[in-house]
Amino acid sequence: MVVVIVVIVVIVVLAILLALAFNHLVRLRNETEAGWSNIDVQLKRRNDLIPNLVEAVKGYASHERGLFDEITQARAAVQGGGGPAATAAASDQLTAGVGRLFAVAENYPQLRASENFQELQSELTDTEDKIAAARRYYNSVVQTYNSAIQSFPALLYAGLLGFRRREFFAAQDSDRAVPQVSTT
Amino acid sequence: MTLREQIRHNYLMTVLLLGFFGLLIAGVAGALYGIYGQGAAIAVAVGGIAWAAFSWFGSTGVVSSVTGARPVTKQDQPELYRIVENLSIAAGLPATPEVRIVDDPAPNAFAAGRNSKNCYVCVTTGLLQTMDHREIEGVISHELAHVQHRDVRLMTLVAVLVGVIALISDIALRMLFFGGRRRSNGPGDLVILAIGICGLILAPIAAVGIQMAISRKREYLADAGGAEISGDAEGLALALRKLMEDPREIRDTSKSTAHLYIEGPLRKASGPRALLGGMFDTHPPLEDRIAALERIGGFTLPPDGEPVATAESAS
Repeated sequence: MVVVIVVIVVIVVLAILLALAFNHLVRLRNETEAGWSNIDVQLKRRNDLIPNLVEAVKGYASHERGLFDEITQARAAVQGGGGPAATAAASDQLTAGVGRLFAVAENYPQLRASENFQELQSELTDTEDKIAAARRYYNSVVQTYNSAIQSFPALLYAGLLGFRRREFFAAQDSDRAVPQVSTT
Repeated sequence: MTLREQIRHNYLMTVLLLGFFGLLIAGVAGALYGIYGQGAAIAVAVGGIAWAAFSWFGSTGVVSSVTGARPVTKQDQPELYRIVENLSIAAGLPATPEVRIVDDPAPNAFAAGRNSKNCYVCVTTGLLQTMDHREIEGVISHELAHVQHRDVRLMTLVAVLVGVIALISDIALRMLFFGGRRRSNGPGDLVILAIGICGLILAPIAAVGIQMAISRKREYLADAGGAEISGDAEGLALALRKLMEDPREIRDTSKSTAHLYIEGPLRKASGPRALLGGMFDTHPPLEDRIAALERIGGFTLPPDGEPVATAESAS
């Protein structure tokens, strides 16, 4: 009789613990998904701004054709998706391209003075900042999630229950990517 | 100690302190039982729980009217608004909190609200005037960490618990003086009575002490969390030093909101409060907070007045 009660209690406690651990993993995974959609929103916003910027600069510096093509391609690659690491690589390329475009624009005082261009520039700078912020959050929750599913005892059942590792939003090989949680 | 370890450590301490709270309440209940017997203990306990529920559900929405904060839009304060927006994204908050401003020359800031969806951060006009972009970022990241850690709710809960303990002890002591105690049966009963009375007098004092200790722990936690959100522990440390050097105190703060500010508004301890060595302060000394940030960020602030060596443009 006593033995039966003990066994039942142990089973119930184990079941509760497992349920709690499972919910914990689900919560962490949801956080990574929310973090990813944060990045996605900002990437889309930047992609919407870029054609206008390119048009504005084209009017003054039509000879920079190579740069325009590069930006257009990077923009398409960001839009095309293909996983966090690939998107991050494309996004970094796009950031660099936009930076060069602003450098080109420096040579045309009339362009810089135009209200439309100034507006675009400040919107884009703001969006770049927001992408950086969203990236920091996403990478930190991915790191928490990845280490949660890899530590004992979660590693015994996380794979069976469909918890897969997530890629960092970073251009390097995702295994070695260092999330930006340290102070700079 | 890394940021995460620091956060975990502080979290543990808070849980521990809440545990002490539970023990304290159990102790008061025990004292009541010893003095009056079962009936009175149950009656007071039920009354206490009812009162706790009442103040818990009635406590929301009071803060704004007390502090006199007014909302601002993105057009009014584009720089401040952008800082809040970007750091909210970095903190992973579900929405950007409302931004509010208090007209006060003393630099200070606080966050308030029921939960992370329904909250606001507030800074004083003095803060905007004295601090640069990077320092404001530090301050805002500290406030958003409070939001992220659900501190406002926790501190409201703690305040309610303190109130309950004070109320029960008070009622019990009054009942003692005005009769109603069950008849004593011998010397053993007198000892229980003496212990009970001491307990009832000491419990409210201990409760306030614990409340302040939890509040101080939450400040360290918010500093560490803020540094993680902004990725710039040094910026927050610089902001704290500026607060330390500024002699002005924010006007018009009541004790009920003191724990919300980034810098304790009632920090000029004097008289009996100073003698207790800060036991009843809501905030730890700023020197200690800066030192903690230096430890987790792995940097040392240069002596005052000199430019910061690693001053990167805060993004």
